[in-house]
Amino acid sequence: MSGESEKAVFEVPVGPQHPALKEPILLLFKIEGDIIDDVMARPAYTHRGIEKATEARNYIQNIYLCERVCGICSGIHTLVYTQGVERLAGVEPPPRAKYIRVIFLELERIHSHALWLGVAAHELGFDTLFYYVWRDRELVMDLLELVTGNRVNYAMSTVGGARRDISDEAAHQIKKGMEIFRRRLDVYTGVVEKDPTVRKRVVDVGKLSPHKAVELCAVGPTLRATGVKRDVRADDPYQAYDEIPFNVATYPTGDVLAQIMVRVMEMYEAANIIDYALDHMPKGPIRTKVPWNIAPNEVISRGEAPRGELFYYFKSNGTEKPERVKIRTPTLANLPAVCEMLKGYHIAEIPIVFASIDPCLSCTGRFAFIDERHDRSWVWTGEQLRAYRRRYYKWQNR
Amino acid sequence: MMREALGVVELLVFPGFLFLSWLALYFEWVDRKFYAKLQYRYGPLYTGPKGFLQPFADFVKLLAKEDIVPAAVDRFLFTLTPILMLALAFYALFYVPIVPMVRNVAFGAFEGDLILVIFVLTMVGFLKFLAGWGSTNRFSAVGAVRTAFQLLGYEIPLAVVLLTAGMGAGTLNISLIAQKVASNGILASALLPALAISIVCFQAELERIPFDIPEAEQEIVAGWLTEFSGRRLALFRFATDLELTLAAALTAALFLGGPYGPAIPLIPVQVSYFLWFMFKTTVIVMVLANIRALFARLRIDQMVHFSWRHLLIAAVAEAIFIQVLLAAGVIA
Amino acid sequence: MAMESELVGASLRRPVTLRYPFERRPVPPRFRGRLSWDAEKCVGCGMCVQVCPAFALELVGKGPMAELRYYLNKCVFCSQCVESCPRDALTMTEEYELADYKHKIYEFRRK
Repeated sequence: MSGESEKAVFEVPVGPQHPALKEPILLLFKIEGDIIDDVMARPAYTHRGIEKATEARNYIQNIYLCERVCGICSGIHTLVYTQGVERLAGVEPPPRAKYIRVIFLELERIHSHALWLGVAAHELGFDTLFYYVWRDRELVMDLLELVTGNRVNYAMSTVGGARRDISDEAAHQIKKGMEIFRRRLDVYTGVVEKDPTVRKRVVDVGKLSPHKAVELCAVGPTLRATGVKRDVRADDPYQAYDEIPFNVATYPTGDVLAQIMVRVMEMYEAANIIDYALDHMPKGPIRTKVPWNIAPNEVISRGEAPRGELFYYFKSNGTEKPERVKIRTPTLANLPAVCEMLKGYHIAEIPIVFASIDPCLSCTGRFAFIDERHDRSWVWTGEQLRAYRRRYYKWQNR
Repeated sequence: MMREALGVVELLVFPGFLFLSWLALYFEWVDRKFYAKLQYRYGPLYTGPKGFLQPFADFVKLLAKEDIVPAAVDRFLFTLTPILMLALAFYALFYVPIVPMVRNVAFGAFEGDLILVIFVLTMVGFLKFLAGWGSTNRFSAVGAVRTAFQLLGYEIPLAVVLLTAGMGAGTLNISLIAQKVASNGILASALLPALAISIVCFQAELERIPFDIPEAEQEIVAGWLTEFSGRRLALFRFATDLELTLAAALTAALFLGGPYGPAIPLIPVQVSYFLWFMFKTTVIVMVLANIRALFARLRIDQMVHFSWRHLLIAAVAEAIFIQVLLAAGVIA
Repeated sequence: MAMESELVGASLRRPVTLRYPFERRPVPPRFRGRLSWDAEKCVGCGMCVQVCPAFALELVGKGPMAELRYYLNKCVFCSQCVESCPRDALTMTEEYELADYKHKIYEFRRK
């Protein structure tokens, strides 16, 4: 009966296929009783080679390739890409284009957060809330469809401006939609704040201290849920965000409830930003001509995706194709933080705590090797990758 | 002779196996349809009128599917548990008054059958544990342990409230309790808190939200059911439907008078039994579905905590309340 | 408990599910569906082929009489070709039920 010397630690793998995780990731848990002792995350089951593929396409083709890095935040990916290429080419989009971009980005933020709220409810086993939130998310999806033409890949932002204008009629409809959405949001805020079963599952679960969050380089709502006021839109304003007043939503507690509340508050903020932007949208052209002779240069571009800071690095070599495009998606930055959040909680809390960072794992696949035991890391070149592919298929067909 | 022939009909057709099977599928349909309605969905839609035949179609489809037996399972338990669970659920239903046309009481009614039904309810929970444990799957094992934990939580308050009804009526024969409750308005209204407690307990027994912890999809795949497929899964699903029927029928009988109720004019008493029974049980199933739509899933420790802290105390308080009323002579 | 009033509302209203093959929503005004090609306007410049991010377009033949081959299975419906076309020979239709068992390749022909 020496409880201290014999710790019954066993390993539980969750994923890469598991009903709680919609996308492939392996979380290897060290469990002591019912409590999580340690966790190791292994992403990159869906390496799609997008960064490499950008080198084979010209700057226009890459707009649509980068749009497909993520299915939910496709708008911000095109925006950050086009913003970077605009910096490379030295063009400035017209002011009306900036406002149009802000409007559809904020609509996208609402739809992404609403989607997340539904998923979080589903992870809590609260399927009714899930259906209700997704039903009202359709409102925003319809508005996005109205403005951009399609539901998922908006293809709205292009180098030098926006591809489609927002008519006065559409603006009126968006405003009306935001009014309805705000009222629906009030209902869900009430549910999350008052429902006893939801509160039992989210209060004081998955706690992260602000100190630790900053140390682990958490970004976006995950960081803001710990009370740290950090938002690319406010700290390094891009597009029209420096002309639009808005609050950076924070919540002090750092648990799953805080994650929910921060995202709910951001939805309210986004609705306000859309209203303001529609009212103050300047008249004028929506595109400028882009001189397509891009000199060798290096730039970075970043923006606040619904999940946090999205970062692009560009290197041009004077041709029509980029030499290197590096993408850092927010989920990758949040993975160390979520591993920390999971420690010390029950197995039953794995789904909701892991879902609370709004993981978007298929955007996260990167190819780098890290050997912990020998403390070295390396990256494969294209030639090595091809050699591996030959070996792999030989092994498969043996 | 006539009496025996009627008995065979009662056993096999109405309200025996055939009717019970129909009833189980009907309740599954009500449950799914109402749950969907509460979530702005249609639910089953195309199989039969308003999707009425969907549960039956699902059952037949599952029967036709491949039945996989993993190499590591305990074959004996793996085969026994679905059959036994189905058999037990059917067995218990013969002691609950459904539509007692022939003898005015349930088919197998005897003094003390309430105890037997409570025992069967516990056995069903225990069989779920055995089914999960025998699967030797990680998720099944966790689900099985959670089932057992949950059983510890809801079983005692459930037994207490069910026996409270017997106490109030002064008998342990479910049919007689139902008759007494139906004829005694004071007793019926005194038993209303017990009705609420028993509905919560049955929600846990049936492993539905907020107590679907042993089957928590997002945490442990399908819990104790994970390894079952094909015929065995079909039997388990059917047994679960029968369990829902049992829960609805038992709650209706003990707290609402079951098939007995005020005579409806111009209608023979047997038909009024049927109408009263269907009305009461359908309402109970809809209430169960409403609870399912209303909550998030609890954690297992929170569930046990809730049962012992609140449910059990409420159940005991209700039993004392009924005793006081009996002693004071309010309930004749 | 906080959702009970919402549930009551739901039980009184119609479901929102779209019974898809029987009910269809109207296509939004800017919808990007299958590509169509106007032979009269096309001058065979090949801009569309150059900008296509999915390599879904191919010129068959050379010069002003060139024809277009359109790989529907590769198309990502970004409508960059429509935007880049100097003669507005390409448009996006409102067709969206395009799933098929085989890879669909459209040979756009000049009559």
